[in-house]
Amino acid sequence: MNTEVVITANNISKRYDESYALENIDIEISKGQIMGLIGPNGAGKSTFLQSVLGLLKTEGNLEVLGLDPRKDRHKLLKEVCSITDVAVLPKWMTVQQLLDYMDGVHPGFDLDKCKSILSRTNIKLHSKIKVLSRGMVVQLHLSLVMAIDAKILVLDEPTLGLDLVYRKDFYSQLIEDYYEGDKTILISTHQVEEIEGVLSDAVFMNQGRIVMKDSIESINKKYLELRPDQNYLDAAKSLNPMHQRTELGREVMLFEDIDKDKLTALGDVRPPVIADLFMAIMETTKKGGQQ
Amino acid sequence: MIKVLKAMIVREIQEHKVAFVYAPFFVSIILCLVIASVYFGGTNIQTDQFNFSTEYYDEEIRQAMQSVSSVSRIDIVRTGLLVLGFPILLTVGFGLLAYSLSTFADERKDRSLIFWRSLPVSDLTTVLSKVFTVTLIVPLMVLPYIILLQLVSMTSASIFFATNDIVSFGWLWGSYIFTDWFRIIFSLWAQSLWSLPLFLWLMLAGTYAARPIAGAIVPPVILIVLEGIIFKTNLVLEFIENRIGFWSRADSFPKEYQELRVVDVSDILLLFSTQAFWIGILASVILVAGIVYVRSSNSDHAID
Repeated sequence: MNTEVVITANNISKRYDESYALENIDIEISKGQIMGLIGPNGAGKSTFLQSVLGLLKTEGNLEVLGLDPRKDRHKLLKEVCSITDVAVLPKWMTVQQLLDYMDGVHPGFDLDKCKSILSRTNIKLHSKIKVLSRGMVVQLHLSLVMAIDAKILVLDEPTLGLDLVYRKDFYSQLIEDYYEGDKTILISTHQVEEIEGVLSDAVFMNQGRIVMKDSIESINKKYLELRPDQNYLDAAKSLNPMHQRTELGREVMLFEDIDKDKLTALGDVRPPVIADLFMAIMETTKKGGQQ
Repeated sequence: MIKVLKAMIVREIQEHKVAFVYAPFFVSIILCLVIASVYFGGTNIQTDQFNFSTEYYDEEIRQAMQSVSSVSRIDIVRTGLLVLGFPILLTVGFGLLAYSLSTFADERKDRSLIFWRSLPVSDLTTVLSKVFTVTLIVPLMVLPYIILLQLVSMTSASIFFATNDIVSFGWLWGSYIFTDWFRIIFSLWAQSLWSLPLFLWLMLAGTYAARPIAGAIVPPVILIVLEGIIFKTNLVLEFIENRIGFWSRADSFPKEYQELRVVDVSDILLLFSTQAFWIGILASVILVAGIVYVRSSNSDHAID
């Protein structure tokens, strides 16, 4: 893993009236990381990503590629690309007009590469964007981004509203055709299970705060999920699981920092899926807060 | 920078081709057809104020036309052609007002603002591209339509006059000043600079207001009323009235033309020497800064 830091956030906050959309966010993101921002609606994921893109003014110190995203936004955006569900492509344009515009304004845009990517899709250059399906528009947006040699890619709910096939295609295209070791990708999505396989790191957010951040590798080592045999239920409970739930009539326990061998003797053991881990941590945090 | 601005201006024209291309084109074609039909088809348009008919050319007029001095002849032809172009200018003028009001409002309404702002183009460059479109490009785009109309008028009239033994081709074409094309474009550029504060005010309304039309109208109305009550003056209203009208006929312009005429380049230089012109430019600079500030801090993209 490359350790060159590309995004540094120190004490970042964003307040709307009395409530915080972001509260004291501290994070460093390194070159090559594919970081997933995971959290419920209103967790602050989009606010953080918009801050990284220089679209929002925040308190605190935020540096992206050594630049202040607010002051040097247009300089920064030569190196940072984004696809967000709120960034709607102009419907009145044709695909060709949009490509020509990108070629004119973006120094890193490769027109031939973009046309080559689009030639593998059903998108026609003469089509107006307003006649394309939602899936095709996202595909077009991804093609534009893939034709730019950017250092950071920000994806904020990029596949929102797409059917399963388009969602799968999106991420496979992203990883197979776009991602290189020196690019950094930030992804925020509700469909956590679909990006789990592509992430190198995960950040859990809730109510404007970071609840947990770690690498997927470390998460898989640190957390284990046990489905204990009925006979060993009490033995498993005695090991103090951090969270417990019932799934299809069977107990599922989550453990943190425990010897895998201890659990293997009690039932089926495997790393938790990110969504379950997130839910467990949210509930644990909530309970901790109530005590 | 030039490449970026070119791409942005092309985008503006593509997005607003109805206002800048189709509307003046159709008005020009209709005017050309009307003119041709008057000379060749016998169309007869006569009202108390307006006479556009070949019946006008009776014996008395024929003799007057042949005996008129070359200077007067040129003036008559130039003024006639100038008047013919007004419908095109009015069409584009309304188009520019609509464009100014909608250009920043539309990107908020269709939520493409975030996409545009995700590209490496500063807000200042975006605003400047729109200013260049209004002041430089659209006047240039109008010129071919005016020239077309003039040529159709001149040709139709020449054929009619020559075939009816009124005057010769040379009589008419000798009065046509081709360098007026340049005077017209310089005059239009001066006009767009003169009216620029109005266009920019409408752009600002589109940038900040949830209801752009109300945002454009309400603040000036309040200002006018307050100014009237407190200072007993009408400066804001006069400013707006002057900027809507032609610069050469504004109160502040030193020359007072009694009749309609093509302006000279020296008139434009005279305009540049007036305080009113530079007040407008200063107001425009402030409005550009305001648009850049509001657009860059627009986190609420909601619009009615």
